[in-house]
Amino acid sequence: MKNILKHYASVYHGFLQTSLSEATSFRLNFFLFIIMDIIFFCSSVMSVHIIYQHIEKIGIWSLTEFMFFLSFSLLVDQIHMAFIAENFWYFSDDIRMGNLDFFIIKPISTIFSVFFRHIRPASCINILFTGAYFVYCSKQAGLSNLFILVSPLFVILALLLMVSLEILLSCSMFFMVESMGINFLRMQFQKLSRWPDFVYGYMSQKVFTFAIPILLISNAPIKFLLNPTDITPLLYMLIAIVVTILLIRIAWAHGLRAYESVSS
Amino acid sequence: MSALLSKWFQTIKISWSNLLAYRLNFFLLIIGPAFVFFFVKYNLWYSIFQGDKTILVGGYTLEQMIHYQFFTLITALIAQSSNGMKLSSDIRLGRISVFLIYPFNFWQYHCAHFLAFQSIQVIVGLLSISIFYYLGLIYNLSMTSCIYGFSFCIIVGVLWFSIQYLIGLMAFWLEETWILRVSFLTISNFLSGAIIPLELYPKWLVNGLWYTPFPYLTFVPVKVFQGQFDMVNTAFFVIVFWTFVFACISYFTWRKGLRLYTGAGM
Repeated sequence: MKNILKHYASVYHGFLQTSLSEATSFRLNFFLFIIMDIIFFCSSVMSVHIIYQHIEKIGIWSLTEFMFFLSFSLLVDQIHMAFIAENFWYFSDDIRMGNLDFFIIKPISTIFSVFFRHIRPASCINILFTGAYFVYCSKQAGLSNLFILVSPLFVILALLLMVSLEILLSCSMFFMVESMGINFLRMQFQKLSRWPDFVYGYMSQKVFTFAIPILLISNAPIKFLLNPTDITPLLYMLIAIVVTILLIRIAWAHGLRAYESVSS
Repeated sequence: MSALLSKWFQTIKISWSNLLAYRLNFFLLIIGPAFVFFFVKYNLWYSIFQGDKTILVGGYTLEQMIHYQFFTLITALIAQSSNGMKLSSDIRLGRISVFLIYPFNFWQYHCAHFLAFQSIQVIVGLLSISIFYYLGLIYNLSMTSCIYGFSFCIIVGVLWFSIQYLIGLMAFWLEETWILRVSFLTISNFLSGAIIPLELYPKWLVNGLWYTPFPYLTFVPVKVFQGQFDMVNTAFFVIVFWTFVFACISYFTWRKGLRLYTGAGM
């Protein structure tokens, strides 16, 4: 087990190095990525601030609680953009052009080499910024130092659920000729998950919590952090992660059988 | 003249076929995001008002806010159709070499593609507005405001195309132009009143925004749909002005970029 982990760590180190050298070859792009992330961050934060200038509460939350939620969701998003997001775009191209062959024959997990190969170093820089903002909002929301210290664990859980749902959705690309639209659908799910669950109507809430559990990504950890006596949302989240990973195994196997290795 | 028209017509026809070849993909790429964006905003504003129809937020009742959001959806569907994605990949992959020798140039080709796209979006917009009207989700919609609104959205569509065309041309210098496209979309969603009506923004910010093209991308077309025609004349000239500005910049960018073009990937 230790050897396997070591092997994967060395492969990931290789991925990091190639991504870094690729990113630094196009310096203007590198800076534009940072600016794009900052624009997205500022527009999200300012939108909520503008709304709160006219009201006291949205649902049950005041500005502090809402910003705490938003900062958590932006942090998860930022880490996702830095380490995972890019790979989904490559995946649709790889299937269409038959490049997946080269991943299938490698002596490591295909899912690992497909979805963790490309890293965006420019976005890694902004993680510091969003992370600091999350700590600031946690303090504002009255979170104890202990909870702030354990919050990275919840960020990882949220990321795990988000990525596994996205991989499951991406398995549908095996069955499509042009699968760019699936990536857009994936982004729409992200958009839906960035808001507290009470914003949505009863039916939408149930669908996006139990059928397609995207609302659990940020809602479950934040609800737990705000009210640690209730562990139900976290339990739902853990169940959702396990079920999604099991479904990925089935869908991925089916997908690989359907893969025709076109153009290769 | 008829030969030139035929070239335009044939290119539009081919673009139609290309765009609609994978219908699910087209839906997920173009129509889906606009509807999901609307779904989020609808739920958000409903939650802000807590379903209470008597509360006023920034001078809007719940009904007025939802009405506003329905028209932002229609505006997005009609006006924000161009994305310049194809344009930048043409430059990056060296496909523009073909256009340099063809009797139908690069701009004409992409303009024809935009017209094909725009015509599909107008149909989608018309269908959506009819369904919303039939379901009673849109009210007080006169034929005049509908015609004005659609015409205005098409003009905004031209402005949107000129901006996207300029962003696409940046592919002469940049490896990826989608970064600029996404940044512009994020800024325009925020500053054009697509999420929050401009009446809710701080006054100093709104005053400054009128000197930019942003309010004309969503806020003004929505107001025109809602029957406020007082700003139509000024807005029309402002949009023409900005379109002209972006077209001029695109022209010089194209000339400068062409000097750098190496035909990579040929």
